[in-house]
Amino acid sequence: MDIDDILASVDRDANIQTPESATLDHQLLTRFWVAERAVSELLPWPASLMDRIMERVRRQIEAIEDLAASSGDPTASTNTNNATLNLKLSILQTDLARTQYLIRSLLRQRLSKLTKHSMHYLLLISPNHNTSQHTQSSQSSQTQQQQPEDSVPTPDDMANTSPLSPQETSFIHAHQTLLARHYGSSFLSTFPPQLRRLDDNAGGTSMVQGPEGKEAVFVRCLVDEVGVVVPPGDGVEEEMVGTGMRMGDVWVVRWEGVRGAWERGEVEIL
Amino acid sequence: MAFPLPRGITPPEIAFLAEMEQVNIVPRQRLEGLELLGGPVEPLLPPRRATLPLWLALLLKRQRRANIVPPSWLHPEALSLILEIETQHSDYQNAFSPPPPLPGQPSVRDRETQQTPVAMPRSTQDGERYYASPPFLPQNVARDYIPPGEPPSLPYHWLEVGNVLLDAASDDLVDPDQTRRLLKELREVRMAKFRAGTDVLDAAAIGGGGVALTGVGAMEIGEGRGFVTGVVDGLRKIGASKEQARREQMAEDMANGGYGATQEDDDEMEF
Repeated sequence: MDIDDILASVDRDANIQTPESATLDHQLLTRFWVAERAVSELLPWPASLMDRIMERVRRQIEAIEDLAASSGDPTASTNTNNATLNLKLSILQTDLARTQYLIRSLLRQRLSKLTKHSMHYLLLISPNHNTSQHTQSSQSSQTQQQQPEDSVPTPDDMANTSPLSPQETSFIHAHQTLLARHYGSSFLSTFPPQLRRLDDNAGGTSMVQGPEGKEAVFVRCLVDEVGVVVPPGDGVEEEMVGTGMRMGDVWVVRWEGVRGAWERGEVEIL
Repeated sequence: MAFPLPRGITPPEIAFLAEMEQVNIVPRQRLEGLELLGGPVEPLLPPRRATLPLWLALLLKRQRRANIVPPSWLHPEALSLILEIETQHSDYQNAFSPPPPLPGQPSVRDRETQQTPVAMPRSTQDGERYYASPPFLPQNVARDYIPPGEPPSLPYHWLEVGNVLLDAASDDLVDPDQTRRLLKELREVRMAKFRAGTDVLDAAAIGGGGVALTGVGAMEIGEGRGFVTGVVDGLRKIGASKEQARREQMAEDMANGGYGATQEDDDEMEF
């Protein structure tokens, strides 16, 4: 254990409510928002960061309400006092509105990605779906009662729902079930039962579409050197390293080439 | 429709981000320190300088409660030097002038003497490493001491900060008309470079490749984002079958030649 690790552990143990941690969390939220807005796939939900920020927002709203109540009290304040109080209130409210805007934009962007590729993410967080699909299809071949909503996988409550938050998981399941039921009642019910599934992969082509990981993003390299990688695929089994980026450089690269470096915090998305 | 905006932050959102940059002000009235969600704000004690986020500085400026100290780079002298680097310097004919160094990165001058950068991470509460970057670096503060020989550089949010200060605080700037003219010239020179760079976008369409835009500004990315990502993704789709064939050929070579042969290939590519 070297001195950096000791310092890091001291940093971590520091009180959650220190002003420094507020600054750092604000910067992390801002960076995460920019990345979420720029990247085609859903990024892993930063649960502990969002919990801390939501807690702070709640406290700040209470603080503002207390201040506003005291400014409404005519006996306790003189004129000059009132002017400063109003200034303070307007600063606090602007700051709150800016943070709320960040959170709102972040959540809406995530919902938009989720609904666009809802089946993809549902399959991603339901690890035991393949087996259940098998039993379902064997049952349905007997009963001939296959409905579109049967193909919607049910996320396991206990399972790891990354990259979705628990709330997003329940939302996306309800959303997809409603959608499947709607499809079923409006047109899929007139199809033969074997064509009613929403995750059909007949002919080797899956009808479930996921986000495109090869899309280009703008990144800034934050450490000495980061290589753009080519993930395994197309028969090549090992990861290959392409161009190298130096510290402070801004590059246009494929998202899949820097995803690992982003997870380690070595690059930032612009 | 959960969210109507296109992917990648749009110009209004970039301007929003630029308002998080730190600037110096000279307050005209006292105000106690505040605990904001974006971090604490130091108490204002005239005539002592304070460092605040730009949005707060603008709020105080509009109510005539403070004067903004212009950033070191937003000065006709510094701007004409940068313009000279952009247009005359032979190293930067096809590239943007170098950005301000990140913490731990040697300045442009020291890079020639082979100083290696040492990134300085902070630790987040979740135990991850965090490297600070704009808009959370003091790139827009007024610096009292500039080491001799260090050339001025444009910060990441130069266009937004420059314009917003010209709009809201032109009486605090040195020679605002000249500043405005220089900013416009810089913008034109750099946009021309950005457009000329579209020729090499092929490189970003290949796996493992990329195009360097070091020194680019946030708003310049915002303006070019739709075009650049559109061209790169289009080229990728056109070249997809070729790339797949190349990868399969590579896989075949690796299977035939074994591990030793790939090693040799790698060496050749490096030298």
